[in-house]
Amino acid sequence: MTENSKFIAINEDKNMKLEELVKGIRSDKPDVRTATWQQAGTVGASAVKPLAKLCTEENLEVGRAARRGLERIVRTVGAPGIQSGKSAVVQELLTLLSDDTPIALRRDILWLLSEIGGGESVEPITALLKHHALREDARMALERIPGEASLASLRNALGSVPEAFRLNIAQSLRARGEAVDPERYPCQKLVPKK
Amino acid sequence: MNPNKMIKRRDFLATVTTALAVPYVIPSRVLAAAGKPGANERTTLGFIGVGGMGSGHLGRGLKFKELGQAEVVAVCDVDSTRLANAAKKCADAGVEVKVYADYRRLLQRKDIDAVVVSTPDHWHAVQTVHACETGKHVYVEKPSSVTVREGQDMVDAARKYRRKVQVGAQGRSGKPAYYTCRAIRNGIIGRITKVDCWHYETPYDKNPLPDCDPPPQLDWDMWLGPLRWRPYNPRYCPGTFRWLMESGGGQIRDRGAHQFSTILWCLNADRQTSFTVEATGTPPPLGLWDCPPTVDVTYTFKDPDWTLIWSQPGRKTGKTEFGQMFYGEKGRLLLEWEGARKWAEPEAIDFEPVAGGFEPYTPGLFDDFGLNHMGEWLKAIKTPDHLPNVDIEIAHRTSILCILGNLAYLLGRKLVFDGQLQRVVGDDQANRLLSTPQRHPYHL
Repeated sequence: MTENSKFIAINEDKNMKLEELVKGIRSDKPDVRTATWQQAGTVGASAVKPLAKLCTEENLEVGRAARRGLERIVRTVGAPGIQSGKSAVVQELLTLLSDDTPIALRRDILWLLSEIGGGESVEPITALLKHHALREDARMALERIPGEASLASLRNALGSVPEAFRLNIAQSLRARGEAVDPERYPCQKLVPKK
Repeated sequence: MNPNKMIKRRDFLATVTTALAVPYVIPSRVLAAAGKPGANERTTLGFIGVGGMGSGHLGRGLKFKELGQAEVVAVCDVDSTRLANAAKKCADAGVEVKVYADYRRLLQRKDIDAVVVSTPDHWHAVQTVHACETGKHVYVEKPSSVTVREGQDMVDAARKYRRKVQVGAQGRSGKPAYYTCRAIRNGIIGRITKVDCWHYETPYDKNPLPDCDPPPQLDWDMWLGPLRWRPYNPRYCPGTFRWLMESGGGQIRDRGAHQFSTILWCLNADRQTSFTVEATGTPPPLGLWDCPPTVDVTYTFKDPDWTLIWSQPGRKTGKTEFGQMFYGEKGRLLLEWEGARKWAEPEAIDFEPVAGGFEPYTPGLFDDFGLNHMGEWLKAIKTPDHLPNVDIEIAHRTSILCILGNLAYLLGRKLVFDGQLQRVVGDDQANRLLSTPQRHPYHL
């Protein structure tokens, strides 16, 4: 890419095919990758797993383009009035929380779910509160997902997660407006650690 | 903690000296010398974040020390090299400071009245709220926050603990902005219908690097603070945090925080908080940074009706790298940069309001706008009913514009923001993104 070349904007008129999306994101040309991931939203749920696979590519820029493609899908189906597309994408993302997905990618998936996930996402995310490397991101995702199911999950977790993680859960409950016993679960935010 | 129940050093000294009522040896730094205020008038300062802007603010703090208006007693940074440099800068000025790697230790000191926060943007809200909770007044760099929810909490904390929180958008302390505001408010170009900002592009990373171990001088966990954890990458810092949405938000949240602040002042629009916003942009073709190099954002306000445009690179109508053109029913008026560092147009400077016309408040303490802005904060600390000229509530409204501009770009759709409720109308995803869950224990 030359210093003077301009950035490529999305072609909104075109509905991209999945094969074109994958091919474009695997391109060794930055401009092509960038123009391609911007159109991932037009492909939708069927692109979630192929893009997740590309996220783990050795070429860092291909992986980055794939992750941005996933974000674009989530932000397209998250628009008001796209309920069916959103549900399909959420289901695809939930399957990626399984153990055969790399941890770094599962962290990204949790944050994507925090933007559009609903009650259906709560149980699978709650299960990750037991996962040492993922529990903090899972907690933050539950904190952001509105509704009674996520709140109930956090309430239950306060008494069930390992002792060392309970103050984290208490933080989320307070952020959700819940009263949490300050004697049992003291707020740590003003306590110097270093 | 109720700040009114805190025993401050000066209150303690006042009590002791009154009670003894006998000759007593008090250090000269406590007593007023001829022409210099005593300790009662000097504000004791700590500096959190002392690289980049923080180093500049530390220099201003030392200037106020020289003027007898402040004491500089502590510096803090998560980068030990920057911390050592800051301590040396103080030592060179004959000032001994205590150094801290964890800002919470600095906040625990009861003798510190106020802190200057110049950390990356994702720390601004957390450290400001914590400082208010521990009884400190705050000067915090702009943009005041990275999310709307954070900004709300900053306003709430300032009011609840009755602390003076000044935000470092210095335009309103600069003479060019003052002249422009005075001319516009008094009708030089009639009612304003449009303000068009231009700014050069946000850079993108042309040489991406893989993640690696952080350098030994940097406490990476503390640098991340409230952000979700991720491995270190040399492209996150120092300084380059600006080009990531999470920690900086690009030019619109950096310089936009300056320009929008001045524009809202000129239009008397600080309380016009509801608007619609649409944005398009082109993402970077390479690298870790995710802010769009080019972007076009349009805000539409109603009653009174006007449009605010932010464009990178935009339609440059002035002489310098960025600025704004005010379009009114009777003409147009240019202001370069944010109205502090450059100049006002001659017609604005020469404009004479009619008798009884509107006179904008501007500090007028120093010719240098940076000293003027910090001096205004120190004055507000000493003056019970005086809020600083870029009080956190004003700055929060400016930050909302910056944040919502980026959000409209990220979501690729028009957003309708209800300023009263501080919510996006009918858009669940957008509302979720008005706050970001924070990593334990670095939270509001």
